[in-house]
Amino acid sequence: MPHLLAISIIAVVLGAVGVALMLPRGAARGRLLGGLLGAVALGLTLSQLPRVGQWANDALFLVLAAVTVVSAVGAVTFRNPVYCAIWFGQSLLGVAGLMLVAGAQFLAVATVVIYAGAILVTFLFVLMLAQPEGRAAYDRVSFEGPMAAATGIVIVGLLSITIGGVLSAGPMEHHSAQAMATGVLAPQHVARLGDELFGRHLLAVEVAGTLLLVALVGAAVIVRLAADRMSDRQSAADGASAPTLRGGRSVAAESVADRPS
Amino acid sequence: MIVTLLEPLLKIVLLLAALMTACAYLVLVERWMAAWVQDRLGPNRVGIPLTRVRLFGLGQPLADGIKLLTKAQITPSHVDKALFIVAPMAIFVAALAAFAVIPFGSVIPTEGLPAAWRLPKQISLVVAPGMDVGMVYVYAVGSVAVYGVVLGGWASNDKYSFLGGMRSSAQLISYELPLGLGILGVVLATGSLRLDAIIHQQAASGAWNVFTQPLGFVVFCVAGFAEAARLPFDLPEAEQELVGGYHTEYSGIKLVMYMVAEFLHMITASFLIVILFLGGWHLWGVTGAGNEVSWPIALVRIIVLLGKVMVVILFFMLARWSWPRFRFDQLMDIGWKVMIPWGLVNVVAIAAWIEFGGRLSAVVGLSPIVAMALGNGCVLILCWLATVVADPTSIDNRPRRALPVVGQVGQPRPGGNPPCGKTTDRVL
Repeated sequence: MPHLLAISIIAVVLGAVGVALMLPRGAARGRLLGGLLGAVALGLTLSQLPRVGQWANDALFLVLAAVTVVSAVGAVTFRNPVYCAIWFGQSLLGVAGLMLVAGAQFLAVATVVIYAGAILVTFLFVLMLAQPEGRAAYDRVSFEGPMAAATGIVIVGLLSITIGGVLSAGPMEHHSAQAMATGVLAPQHVARLGDELFGRHLLAVEVAGTLLLVALVGAAVIVRLAADRMSDRQSAADGASAPTLRGGRSVAAESVADRPS
Repeated sequence: MIVTLLEPLLKIVLLLAALMTACAYLVLVERWMAAWVQDRLGPNRVGIPLTRVRLFGLGQPLADGIKLLTKAQITPSHVDKALFIVAPMAIFVAALAAFAVIPFGSVIPTEGLPAAWRLPKQISLVVAPGMDVGMVYVYAVGSVAVYGVVLGGWASNDKYSFLGGMRSSAQLISYELPLGLGILGVVLATGSLRLDAIIHQQAASGAWNVFTQPLGFVVFCVAGFAEAARLPFDLPEAEQELVGGYHTEYSGIKLVMYMVAEFLHMITASFLIVILFLGGWHLWGVTGAGNEVSWPIALVRIIVLLGKVMVVILFFMLARWSWPRFRFDQLMDIGWKVMIPWGLVNVVAIAAWIEFGGRLSAVVGLSPIVAMALGNGCVLILCWLATVVADPTSIDNRPRRALPVVGQVGQPRPGGNPPCGKTTDRVL
């Protein structure tokens, strides 16, 4: 369908230009224009998506897709890292919702547990502790903005054209019937997923688990060594000259010493 | 289409109304409980307005609600406005969303009503009945609730709030692990992640999981208390140290959202304890087991489930007024050094039982359920003894080194140096 192809290409290019304009560049010029271009691109893309059938499913899908894309753009264009993390989290929730609409329940919930519940919270911790006030220069300017937008365009364009070609080849029911047959969308798909993971892919699961365990032990060892080194230095300093104001421990020692005994 | 939407919408409306009312009246119950424990009267004045009818203070939640809703909403000038508003919404929505998969009864039968009212099919009393991964969903939504706390603490731009938020997120993340391990044993034994399947399995065998997996029950209960941030674990808002913790700067309806979310977490934890370990709607000799029920049995099942939940909630409240708050390092010790090892032992014991239990009970000559209960009870006692002997939570509060006194470095203090603490080279 040349018509569909043309609209997709226009939408993708518009979106890339919009995102490039919205990326933080040290100045606020063009952010509004970029946002408008992005909105037009989003509208064009959504209007070209194939419909599933029932209006409620369609509406749910379109809303979730829009939320996901808009949040993803927010994650790269905001300047405050905490806001970026929140937008990223919302994008993840949108992805989880899309998976839920598609029937992949376990994948949806696992995404929320692992990404939103564990990884992103850790990010948020670090970000909040790292920048108590003001914003660093590296937050105000994005590196290689136009190049990043161009790379994005290539990936999104290729994906949408390929998937669009597959989807327009046959009716949707055909694909979902196929998915049902192969077990992706089958009822009891958690049990099937478990069978696959611990049957066919047992070795990969075990290797990944061992790798993570080794990484965990390694992290614990590194922390332990650093703490030991610090306490060694501390005790050496304490032994040499007591009232040096190095770190909280010596200050505490001094304040204890000031007290009448 | 409209008709298929009608059923879940009705359930959602019912559930929302019931939960909000329950939250309001549970606050009253909690205050009565506090008064009873502390040997005083408690709220007993507010009744019907403009009359002299007092009704034991049953009007109190209404008065509280009106007061909180009409209070001034102060947004301090130093806060991050957007996140300051988003944070209470996030925690409230996450707390409510968990109830999408939590059953509040068994099923409503098709028969037994006048012909005109006949239902086309059985209605199961849960908002999203087809959720195949219900247990993981509750877990996921619970982990999203951390955002409300972290963001509230950060957006307030205030030291106390920030410290409270940090503490709370550390606590919630730590106790998610034992919570998951406690769930894992039940899921292993049932073979399904569906909450209704877990209840059906307990009802069919007649042995509630609390008997067959006592260790998992203990781990899950403690982790549930910590996740709900109830009193022994209410570090995030320790009044003496942090004012109000992460909601120090909040007032008016936003504060109400935080409070209600806290109560909702407690209700969720109680529902989960009842469903996973206390048999859900099942009671021996009263409710039966299968899905073919008559109207009276269906009602009895709802009453049994809610009654059990109420008992667990009362236990939560009683624990609040009988147990002092942990210190932060004690909290972390209990989480990482006691609860997580116990949870791991529980999972290994259950897995081993599923693999070898059948043969073992045949050798011993007991029925599998009795043998499982006995075996896992022994595991609990062994874990307890091992913990008592190793004593990972005992902490020597005395200073770790002899602190040097100015002018007499390296000299012994009068009365000798204090002994070094036992293996507690902690940074905090």
